[in-house]
Amino acid sequence: MMSATMTLPEGFADLAELAARWARPTENARSAIRWTASAEDFAALHAAMMPRLDAVLARLEGCPLDGMDSAETRLFCLAAAFAEAAPHHELYGGSAEVPHSFSARRFVPGHGDTPSWSTALR
Amino acid sequence: MNDLGSTGLRPGAEALSHLGRSVEAIRAELGIDPVSVEAIRDPAIYALEREKIFRRAWLKVATAWEIPAIGDYKVKELPVADASVLIVRGKDDRIRAFHNVCTHRGNKVVPTSDFETFGRARANVVTCRFHGWVFGTDGPLRSVPLEGSFGTLDKACLGLREIACESWEGFVFINFADPPEQSLREYLGDFATLFGGYPYAEATTAFRYSTVLECNWKVALYAFSEGYHVPTIHAGSLPGFRGIEHADFKLIGPHASSTIYGLGMEAAESTARFAGLFHAGTDHGPRPDLLPPGINPTGRSDFQFELPNIFPNLLIHLASGCGYPGMAYFTHQFWPLDHGRTLWEGINYFRPARNAAERVAQLHVNALHRNAWLEDTATMEDTFTGIRSGAIDEMQLMDQEFLIRHAARTLDSYLAA
Repeated sequence: MMSATMTLPEGFADLAELAARWARPTENARSAIRWTASAEDFAALHAAMMPRLDAVLARLEGCPLDGMDSAETRLFCLAAAFAEAAPHHELYGGSAEVPHSFSARRFVPGHGDTPSWSTALR
Repeated sequence: MNDLGSTGLRPGAEALSHLGRSVEAIRAELGIDPVSVEAIRDPAIYALEREKIFRRAWLKVATAWEIPAIGDYKVKELPVADASVLIVRGKDDRIRAFHNVCTHRGNKVVPTSDFETFGRARANVVTCRFHGWVFGTDGPLRSVPLEGSFGTLDKACLGLREIACESWEGFVFINFADPPEQSLREYLGDFATLFGGYPYAEATTAFRYSTVLECNWKVALYAFSEGYHVPTIHAGSLPGFRGIEHADFKLIGPHASSTIYGLGMEAAESTARFAGLFHAGTDHGPRPDLLPPGINPTGRSDFQFELPNIFPNLLIHLASGCGYPGMAYFTHQFWPLDHGRTLWEGINYFRPARNAAERVAQLHVNALHRNAWLEDTATMEDTFTGIRSGAIDEMQLMDQEFLIRHAARTLDSYLAA
């Protein structure tokens, strides 16, 4: 049985497997997953999420950042992972790196360990 | 402003029309000759820059919304000035800057863990961990343990050493000169008017990135100071960027500015969906009406963002939601750590998300822009290596690279002073 923190809101159970793979609360945690993903991983995420994006965003539009329950938070984390990973499928040919770029591992996000739903990003 | 008459300008734009330069005027004023790379290559010039630029010019070190509450502080490490700077909001709500140095024996009052450290002073005091000297957030030395054991101690003269600190539109600047040659407002001059009035303080959601680049600080500054590179360097992250036009050149004393117009990129499927979320409302949608009148003075619908160079090391790219979807503006800063090492800081600013979906859309746009910065920074260390090799002695600069030409001339004038 799934723990409370592993569930998604009603109507999004089909995304549970993707959430287990991708949903993380912080940019640093999501980057670590993205950097080791394959073109097939990005393609699978895109194929599953893009048709569901309208529904996901509609559900999250009803959620204040500082008032999500655990299931909504998990859906948010999956959507955040998709938001950051989509360009790798759409623009970078499935590469985990941005082509012809500086090493992403050398960029330090000041907010990297802050939960991405925080209202106090500065 | 480029080749424009006085008709069809937005109200208020005329007042700044004297800043505008046509391409011909830029060429006449700044020349068309190649520019020497010696100022980038020569460590002796960097030593001069430390004294004659970074100890004389106003330097942006914080924003008011980073330290919104009384007692909030930020410590900024500035190796270029051999300084650790404490920027703190006092009990009187005023933001001051001090050397983060205990007047007892020189220890840091606030310990730091990185180039930037944030915190909140309890009871409006900061206490040195070495021996417990206590300073008010307005500077005075409040108490000293075992004070009687010093024999004599003039506490009134032992407050934190203050650094000139002034704000413009919520951007907090310091000046190490004592006293500065000009007020911040005088230093910014017409730039303060050109960029003034935009609600910067409402875009408090910030995504800050930094990295240490093995290059001279001006290599990094110059790489971000032109739009000529966009179709090539950003072919990956900004595919099909159509009709880009770098125009409206402006010279503003030591500062300069220009405008990027364009039809934008062919948005990917997900980007189009996320942008739609922003464009549905006025909070995050394009707000060209909020731009100060001297920026995009004719109200062109293809405005993307204003690209200035605020001497010596700050860029504020003002987009007002017209460029990257939902983004109000973004900034760059280039802090020398040594002749051949630079701390680059890039910050994307958005208005606060009203719900979780808007934050997800912000994360997407932020990632796209971060990735574009990864493309930008890819050139910098190679460029510096190339310049150091001695293979070239000059940069060949085209019209759209006039911000570089202007910055190099301003730098020379400061070094000659």
